[in-house]
Amino acid sequence: MRNTSADKHPMFNRRNLFGATAAGLAASSLAACATSGGDGDGQEVTVGDDAENPFDVDPKAPLDVVIFDGGFGNEYAVAHQAIYKEAFPDAEITHLATQAIAETQQPRFAEGKPADVLDNSGAQQIPMDALVSDGELAELTPLLEAPSFDDPNVTVLDTLRDGVLKAGTFNGKVYALNYVFNAWTIWYDAKLFRDQGWTPPTTWDEMLALCPQIQAAGIAPWTYAGQHPVYLYDMFLMLAGRHGGVQVLKDIDNLKDGAWGHESVVLAAEAMHGLGSAGYLLDGSAGIDHIQSQTSFNNNEAAFLPCGSWLPNEQKAIAPEGFEYAPMGVPPLEGSVQPGLISAGGDEPFVVPKNATNLAGAYEYLRIMLSKEGSQIFSDAVQATTVVKGVELENETAKMTDALVSNPDDMFQPQFRYWYTKMNEEVRPALGQLINAETTPEEFIARMQTVADETAADDTIEKFTHED
Amino acid sequence: MKHGRYPFILSFLALPVGLYAWLVILPFAQAFQISLTDWSGSSNSFEYIGFDNYVNLFKDERLVLPALRHTGIILVVLPVVTIALGLFFAFMLNLGGRVRRGRIEGVRGARFHKVVYFFPQVLSVAIIGILWKQVYAPENFGGLITGALTSVGLPAPVNGFLADKRMVLAAVIAVLVWSAVGFYLVFFSSAMASIPRDLYEAAIIDGAGRGPMFFRITLPLLWDSVQTAWIYLSIVALDVFVLIYMMTPERGGPDAASEVVGGVIWKYAFNHGEQAFASALGVVLFFAALSLAVVSLRFGRRERIEF
Repeated sequence: MRNTSADKHPMFNRRNLFGATAAGLAASSLAACATSGGDGDGQEVTVGDDAENPFDVDPKAPLDVVIFDGGFGNEYAVAHQAIYKEAFPDAEITHLATQAIAETQQPRFAEGKPADVLDNSGAQQIPMDALVSDGELAELTPLLEAPSFDDPNVTVLDTLRDGVLKAGTFNGKVYALNYVFNAWTIWYDAKLFRDQGWTPPTTWDEMLALCPQIQAAGIAPWTYAGQHPVYLYDMFLMLAGRHGGVQVLKDIDNLKDGAWGHESVVLAAEAMHGLGSAGYLLDGSAGIDHIQSQTSFNNNEAAFLPCGSWLPNEQKAIAPEGFEYAPMGVPPLEGSVQPGLISAGGDEPFVVPKNATNLAGAYEYLRIMLSKEGSQIFSDAVQATTVVKGVELENETAKMTDALVSNPDDMFQPQFRYWYTKMNEEVRPALGQLINAETTPEEFIARMQTVADETAADDTIEKFTHED
Repeated sequence: MKHGRYPFILSFLALPVGLYAWLVILPFAQAFQISLTDWSGSSNSFEYIGFDNYVNLFKDERLVLPALRHTGIILVVLPVVTIALGLFFAFMLNLGGRVRRGRIEGVRGARFHKVVYFFPQVLSVAIIGILWKQVYAPENFGGLITGALTSVGLPAPVNGFLADKRMVLAAVIAVLVWSAVGFYLVFFSSAMASIPRDLYEAAIIDGAGRGPMFFRITLPLLWDSVQTAWIYLSIVALDVFVLIYMMTPERGGPDAASEVVGGVIWKYAFNHGEQAFASALGVVLFFAALSLAVVSLRFGRRERIEF
């Protein structure tokens, strides 16, 4: 059988066409896929002379804000956006409030089209170490150098409390604005202690001496959120840092050789282990979440609870009548050289992606957040203080917390958990095992030293260090 | 073939095949590509690093190796226990009762039991997770099993079952079995219904008891169904992630005692910012699932009995 070329060609062409279509489809889908996003233009923002608009924001440029919709909600952000809208009425603001930060925002980074302002918080935050070492974040230097919203003669930096930028600083560069001021403390019910005639312990030994009395009253001395051992992180590290001084903790963060084997760290591990082996934990603590542990605490089933400054606000609606939330630093061990050391500073990191479309607008938005009005809006909405100076809360708990953080030299936030995801994933389960006396202090120390050494030896992990 | 038929068929297939290629095959292919890079997942720059991820995979004593072990355990225990229970219950419900006038019947209330056993299948996995988390809770936090155990004077884990390294995996597997067994009971029941009754009646006349009846008649004739169930359950076992995520402390804890492969992929992708490493593990899981299906179909092949 013979085919004329005329017979052949149309078929050939159609097939060709189909092939071309398939190839085109493949190509276009590749372009839409994960790893193929384009690079942003990497615009530069400089601080101009205009105190009203120092970043030279394009008044018509839209602004894309993503807020972590957690304990603080997102009403405050809506109010901040209203201020922005007042200054730039033509700007269209996109506001997304979500808990799934990584799931929704990570693909946008990969595509090269991230949000302008991102509240990278909560359990699903995108790991900061990955964002920083990938170079995905813009430095916040222009923001800090800009004149503050309220007074053109004062820079934004000078309106902030001392030491609150440390948490967002990676190798000396500020990449995150931790907006909420937070201190990790041990909580107790001041009313319960008064009624029972107990004195809040000022040392670890006093605390241990008090435990049998607490038990005699039918109350367990301690509880914590066993399903989230991260609540023990600051308690344990402050115990070590108070004993040996802040340098002990800096050495740990800096991955110094043998840092975990320091006497103070060992003593702290033994102290934590002692709580579990002495039976001073509320039965069931290891199996409960933070809501259950806080409820037990509210019900006076346990006397001490490690938690952050947000606790009273979080419990506001359900706190029992007369319950008095009182914070104290972790009772220091015998012979502590820096007994005032406290894990306090900024929390709730707001970041500006380097490839943000409206970089200037993002800085301006953060400047508004850090204004007196912006800060007051937040404090009024959620009963928590921001990192801005001079906005105080009028309640007893806030005053007690302020007294604990009065000395800036005693404020230190251990960082390795944020710098090295791998160590974060190790320290949490390890602490859970330790306090329940499932491992010995020696095993705990060896385990943490191993992961620290592995991290130090791994060239693919970008290293961070404390400046001083 | 008539001239012009191919283009005609192809024009109909183009869209579905295209969509399938775009939404299924390409992401799979891309996982292979990504697994050879050092991509973090939150940037658009990466470098090819060859098979390093695969090498490191099998050195990861913290998450990957425990996850492979636990998934392996689930892979063996879940199908065996579920199929055994499913077959047992189905047999009892269909043929476990008395022999009346030469005809064999199921136990009393068989229909009712069938519905009850099927209940868990109706619940979404998320609900099952929340439900059982509470059932397994510590006694003073309303745990059902721990409370029941102590009330009859038996020892119970003080922190509940899920906070205990030795029991957490078994506890999760028990929930998996509980939620799956109802479906396989109904599945095997309908398969048993197609076995001619005269085979059993002949066996009864020959004096066969329940045991020989099950092993000599029922099981061989149900072999195809068992094989299908095995593959389905194996896939469930490889995929088990939601329950771990919902129920266990730290989504795979305590201290990695219930990590499974699916959960570790998720952790590396979103908690660690190591998409490439997660993809490598995903590729391993893909081949494991594939070879599992091939192996069970090949070795399960038997002569089919016509009836």
